[in-house]
Amino acid sequence: MATKVHMEALSPTMEEGRLVKWTKHEGDPVKSGDTLAEVETDKAVMELVARADGQLLKVMVPEGTTVPVGNVVAWIGKPGEKVDGDGAGAPAPKSQRSAVSGAREDKPAPAPPSASPRAAPSIPANPSPPIAPADATRVKASPLAKRLAKDAGVDLKLIQGSGPGGRVIKRDVEAAPTASAATASAAQAPAVPRTADRAPRTGVPYEDVPLTQIRKTIAKRLAASIGPIPHFFLTTEIDMERAVEAREALNQQLGEAGGKISFNDIIIKAVALALVQHRACNAWFQDDHIRYWNEVHIGMAVAIEDGLITPVIRNADQKNLREIGAESRELAGRARNRRLKPDEYTGATFSVSNLGMFDIDQFTAVINPPEAGIVAIGSIVAKAIPDGDRVVVRRRLRLTMSCDHRVIDGATGAVFLKTLKQMLENPLAMLL
Amino acid sequence: MSVLDVIQAGLVPYPDALAWQRQLAEDRIAGRLSRDVLLLLEHPPVVTFGRNSQVSHLLQPDGIDVFEVERGGDVTFHGPGQLVGYPILDLGAYKKDLHWYLRTLEQALIYALALLDIPAERNPGFTGVWTRRRKIASIGIHVKQWVTWHGFALNVTTDLAHFDRIVPCGIQGVQMTSVERELRNGKRETVWRESVDAVLQGFERAFGVSVSHSKECARQSLSFRTAHAEPRL
Repeated sequence: MATKVHMEALSPTMEEGRLVKWTKHEGDPVKSGDTLAEVETDKAVMELVARADGQLLKVMVPEGTTVPVGNVVAWIGKPGEKVDGDGAGAPAPKSQRSAVSGAREDKPAPAPPSASPRAAPSIPANPSPPIAPADATRVKASPLAKRLAKDAGVDLKLIQGSGPGGRVIKRDVEAAPTASAATASAAQAPAVPRTADRAPRTGVPYEDVPLTQIRKTIAKRLAASIGPIPHFFLTTEIDMERAVEAREALNQQLGEAGGKISFNDIIIKAVALALVQHRACNAWFQDDHIRYWNEVHIGMAVAIEDGLITPVIRNADQKNLREIGAESRELAGRARNRRLKPDEYTGATFSVSNLGMFDIDQFTAVINPPEAGIVAIGSIVAKAIPDGDRVVVRRRLRLTMSCDHRVIDGATGAVFLKTLKQMLENPLAMLL
Repeated sequence: MSVLDVIQAGLVPYPDALAWQRQLAEDRIAGRLSRDVLLLLEHPPVVTFGRNSQVSHLLQPDGIDVFEVERGGDVTFHGPGQLVGYPILDLGAYKKDLHWYLRTLEQALIYALALLDIPAERNPGFTGVWTRRRKIASIGIHVKQWVTWHGFALNVTTDLAHFDRIVPCGIQGVQMTSVERELRNGKRETVWRESVDAVLQGFERAFGVSVSHSKECARQSLSFRTAHAEPRL
């Protein structure tokens, strides 16, 4: 019984590979482990290796063809043995895909090698576009297309597939208008800029948005007005009663296990989560463009003997409080001993400076360029607060955000602070 | 943490380095080599074509050696001042995913450049590492049974005029750059050594390995080079 050689996946998301070179030819003897062919995707070439001993009986696709993963590209068997593909050159019968999905766009498909004249005829010369059933609930789509569609919020059922057998493939999804593009204008309040959207989790670390004319003018005029970075400041007072309770409960839970949660850890986590919702504040000013980060890396100002340094807690929005606590203690310790590597104190997208432990009620911090904002944390102080007709004592925190006006406008910063305040006043909101 | 043996081989003619890394990869596949290896070296001026190359992308073929090799990608140039790295890694111990490997190689170089204060990034759809919209490092890899060879080429003090001979990586209009050109306030005399150190740190961070300058490996490399190559120093 002859053995099939399949196109293999070079990565889990790979749908098809280009067979660039046959290193064995029909009739050549092969041993398990021998390289039969080379397959390329992007800048990577992988060797397709024989998994059986015998003779390379039949080569199903010529060099230069792009073949869907899983399709049969060759047969190995005993000399003279008949193979399934010998009659009609049919691809793997279980698959509805054709053996060859098309050659590179810039070249006509090379003619099949004369040694396998019947390898190609199984491909319809001009596949007619498939007709999608009207009530299709199940959509034929490649795994990559499904994933892309999910990320982009695209309904696969609305897409006409152009792949083999009407399958929806990557380029169909990319060409489809996204749901968010269709509904965004209606759903959003006019005052909220597009960049204030939640950071999309697409795996792309950031998006560069060219400066619009108005942003350029704002940048120029404000910079001319107050120094290289036109700072402005927003202060808010936050009720910390529930954060205090939450911290006590969490630390009780942790018990003697060590690694107590500090207010600083809670604040870093809240800032990071609020930035995910307000990407407009998670940005770098870069001369001719603004870089809006989809990742959140929080710089944490640490006082050292003769200055200060801001080690970075990367992807702080995705770390839990214990992880943030452990990492910030470890980084701060090494910062004081001057043991930080450069990549541990560069690349923050936003910073936090905390002087609460020095009994500072409120202060303003200076922005660490190219970041566009920093929050300054004062101490938590018990205060008499009017509550209806009564006066109650509540623990309060004054927090001031410094904003780079070239990137963040007053309202933009205020909306971010509102979210941050809500998270700290009700730490359960961080679970949302 | 797994260990990556580093061999710093100096200037090695292209065909010798090719035979060397193929041998290392075969040894790694067969288990004769128990640890991953990173070959770091320079080549005398040479143009190479990958499996996806078009001959028309070599503009000035005169006076330079040309090789066609089994790596992915289009045409590229190697020459003195370019830090070439050939990682012989068993991806079975990391992730059997060539896209992951390409992106992680890029990440290692991005980390390295950050250490040199050069902001670097990917250019989606164009494998390699870019800074300020110019290309600073090229990548082309090959894998057999999930063991890699070929790798990356980072321009450190490369004479960039050589790239005028070709359409680098088949991308029309691409501008090449080097660490030396991008350094705003670095000391040029030490840039090579600093770049090598940074690349090793970048590898440690991106791949989660620890780098070792193995004497065993160095001895093997010496015997290989005396057996297979005529070192031109």
